[in-house]
Amino acid sequence: MKFTYSWLKDFVGVHIAPGRLADILTMAGLEVGSITPVGNDFVFEVEITSNRPDWLSVVGIAREVAALTDKKIKVPVTARAAYRIAPGASAKQFRIRIESKKDCPVYTARIIRDVHVGPSPAWLKERLEAIGCRSINNIVDATNYIMFAWGQPLHAFDLDKLNSDTIVVRRARPGEKLVLIDGQQKSLTGEVLVIADTSAPVAVAGIMGGKGTEVDERTQHVLLEAAVFNPVVVRLGKRVLGLQSDSAYRFERGVDIAGTEYASFLAVELIREVAGGKNTVSVRSPLLEAKAKRIRVSLAAVHALTGAKDISAGHVKRILSSLGFGVKAHTKGSFLVEVPSFRPDVNLEADLIEEVARIFGYENIPTTLPPIIPQPDVIGPHELVVQLKNTLLSLGLDEVITHSLIPRDILEGFDPGSAQAPEIMNPLSKEQEVLRPTLLPSLIRCVGRNLNQKQEYVAVFEIANIFCNAGPSLKEELFLGVALCGRRSLWLGEGAVQDTPGFLHVKGILQIVCERLGIKLQECAFVCTAAPDIIEAHIGRLRVGVMTRIRREILERFDIKNKDVFALEIDLAKLFSLARLGKKFVPWPVYPEILRDISLVLKEEIPVAQVKETIRKLAGNFLEATEITDYYKGKQIETGFKGLTVSCRYRSSERTLTDAEINALHAEVLRGLTDALGARIR
Amino acid sequence: MSGIDIETIKNSLDAQLGEISSFQGLEECRVKYLGRKGLLAQLTSSIPTLPAEQRPVFGQQVNALKNKIESALATIEASLVGKAGTASAGPTAVIRSGVDIGLPAVAQGVGHLHPITQVMDEICCLFGRMGFRIVEGPEVETEYNNFTGLNIPLEHPSRDAFDTFYIKNAPKLLLRSHTSPVQVRAMKQAKPPLAVVVPGRVYRPDAVDASHSFMFHQVEGFMVDRGIRLSDLKGVLEFFAKGIFGQEINMRFRPHFFPFTEPSAEVDISCKICKGKGCSVCGRKGWLEILGSGMIHPNVLRNVGYDPDIYTGFAFGMGVERIAMLKYGIDDIRLFYENDMRFLAQF
Repeated sequence: MKFTYSWLKDFVGVHIAPGRLADILTMAGLEVGSITPVGNDFVFEVEITSNRPDWLSVVGIAREVAALTDKKIKVPVTARAAYRIAPGASAKQFRIRIESKKDCPVYTARIIRDVHVGPSPAWLKERLEAIGCRSINNIVDATNYIMFAWGQPLHAFDLDKLNSDTIVVRRARPGEKLVLIDGQQKSLTGEVLVIADTSAPVAVAGIMGGKGTEVDERTQHVLLEAAVFNPVVVRLGKRVLGLQSDSAYRFERGVDIAGTEYASFLAVELIREVAGGKNTVSVRSPLLEAKAKRIRVSLAAVHALTGAKDISAGHVKRILSSLGFGVKAHTKGSFLVEVPSFRPDVNLEADLIEEVARIFGYENIPTTLPPIIPQPDVIGPHELVVQLKNTLLSLGLDEVITHSLIPRDILEGFDPGSAQAPEIMNPLSKEQEVLRPTLLPSLIRCVGRNLNQKQEYVAVFEIANIFCNAGPSLKEELFLGVALCGRRSLWLGEGAVQDTPGFLHVKGILQIVCERLGIKLQECAFVCTAAPDIIEAHIGRLRVGVMTRIRREILERFDIKNKDVFALEIDLAKLFSLARLGKKFVPWPVYPEILRDISLVLKEEIPVAQVKETIRKLAGNFLEATEITDYYKGKQIETGFKGLTVSCRYRSSERTLTDAEINALHAEVLRGLTDALGARIR
Repeated sequence: MSGIDIETIKNSLDAQLGEISSFQGLEECRVKYLGRKGLLAQLTSSIPTLPAEQRPVFGQQVNALKNKIESALATIEASLVGKAGTASAGPTAVIRSGVDIGLPAVAQGVGHLHPITQVMDEICCLFGRMGFRIVEGPEVETEYNNFTGLNIPLEHPSRDAFDTFYIKNAPKLLLRSHTSPVQVRAMKQAKPPLAVVVPGRVYRPDAVDASHSFMFHQVEGFMVDRGIRLSDLKGVLEFFAKGIFGQEINMRFRPHFFPFTEPSAEVDISCKICKGKGCSVCGRKGWLEILGSGMIHPNVLRNVGYDPDIYTGFAFGMGVERIAMLKYGIDDIRLFYENDMRFLAQF
């Protein structure tokens, strides 16, 4: 909302520099966005919060300025009788028919005959143009001027273009159409409230007038409408029709019903001044006498809610009175406050306390600290996520944050895919079509972008919720996603080695993540699925994670060529449910270990897990652990075979083992490996 | 007795030292005189061959010479370092320790936490010190928790500030447009006293540009108990703002309107860039808006089953991206979601 300094001075005798006034208004909740000098005047642009329709008028801002600067507001005193329209007056010459009092609580119409439509006088044009309102002609400008000054939207019809001496306020009927003053034709629906003559709609109530009844240079007689329309109906109407106007902006926030007749009267006065003519007929719908709201406010409550003990009963009375509230002493230390009709936002004691605090000045409210409320020390998912992120950082992974909304087509080839992805009803672009049911496409996109920026190696993770359709409802679960790609150069002091990530790197991440949660990797079963690029990690009965080599044809869609991306996705709710966070000290063994290495060559297709399992069975209870210490394929080994070095650790918890007994046992193991797996011992 | 004697060494010493012009020369000279098989070591090893009565005197002479050479070498080294600047301290160390310390360090690369996470953790940690507990809530919310329960009427212009993504085929489900619905959830689950912070992702259908994103992060916080006052809100937020932006900043509370608080306030901090004088970052105002806050509206308290005559509370909410942008001098919000390694590596 814009207003000029000189316009404001019409209503309040303020003599403060514009910059200073802007500060005062801003600190009272009327934020001044800019002050622009125009000629000898200044244009203020203020941000009006949606609860204050009264500030959408110069008089409303003047009222605030008066309260803040200890001035009285200058409003011309007009006898009530002069502007009130007696009920039933002129009812024979003109009628108003309102379908629903809820949609339109009051409607007034005044007929002004013999006007001279033409350009507005300079002062009027200048004021309107200063605040960004285009001058149309003297009649339209007069209605706009009164709206900006007083907050009551008005509309002028060309009386001769109305086909009847009846105005009907009703909902549009299906199939009805209306061409608006801006030239657009709109199809109307039952949600739209219209002003109609007896045959057809002539305006969209409170939003925009119709082309067919607009005032132009040939207009002789004018019907001036001043009414109040239901805020919700106006809001719905403008949304259905896709319209916006200064009038609708005010109606959807609430127009003061008590000011309607007065604004209409002032508009007639102004029209007579700038366009001549004579007000011959004035009619209005019956008024429902609204009861004024009365709210009790106590000084104790002011102190309790604000903490400002400096606010006195005198402050409360003075501040509220200056804002136009009626303040009467009630019991000791409390007031009964009558809320003026232009303040629909004030309904509770807290609302009045805000008014007091606002004008008293938030800067004058002390600064205190509340007592600290000790919180039980609970380790929840948030704390585990913090710990998990630190673990992943220590593994050299960078954290990324990507959008939870994604285009549907990037899910192609992923499981879960687009069928499981919840759809957004009102996306603004393709990028917001669905909620992602997996983190991987976003991570791969991130990898692709970084490779394009000439990164050699990308290792990233994200911890975020994923979303899946689940019947009529929707599942939202916390997941960890990891993606590794490229070639890492590892500097080892004597030179560099190149390392290209694969499934075992992903396994390493899973292992460390599990260990930090007190879960041993040995508890994890790796399950190969039908798809060769996927290995599932199961712990107990839960499928906690999936390791994937992303297929090349998918990678090409992300502009990744001739490179592999290995990914890991973990269901954190499942993983956290398995966490063993309590730590317990285990003393190390008393008796010494005996180590024996086995170097063997065996068929490539025999899995390492089977070798370890065979050793375990053969060696029995004295075998504490086995460890793979070397693995090789290549020149020294014939095709189809692999070399493996397994270190076996023997120990007893009851005594020191002798070399002799372990040599015998180990010999059994070697023989067994040869027999069972066809392994050749080297 | 070997062919060297102390006098010959002494006589040639000054000339030798005078010739030193490089670290290499210095090191060669050090080895020649003071090395394990150097001249002084040879003198020392000759001591047992001397008559017993000469040994103490000779020993003292050797020691004196050694001290003299050491201090002369140290002086020369200092002058060489001075000539070459501090960087030349390196090569000396190389020579002494046998490693070229200019080579890259052997170190496992450690990853980077996203700046949004860092700022969000910092915010939560500051409130944690004042007794606030972290609670999280779902991103897919009900219309009730996101709006109605927070005293935002369905058909009111106050909803214009909260354009919202809705889920297709799921009536009344939406992507939360702020973290405030967690207020409703947390208060329904527990009784006062309550002090909670809520970090999380929120969504609004905004066209993307340098300062808008359809997904961003907020931290919400609230405290409810008997006797919680607006002055407490001021105190808590001042502790927070100074903690995150520095003790030297000023802050101000401005009346504002939010449907879920009454009284409501927006909080500004003095612009760090122009120190309050007015610049392009703060729109020449000298102040930067950082968050919205207020005393929890009695209707919200009532909606969660609290008696507003007994309990009062305050609530606040802030955009994490905005705070991170101010804190780190980032001028484009899109950088946060592009996840360029060159960006991430800076935090």
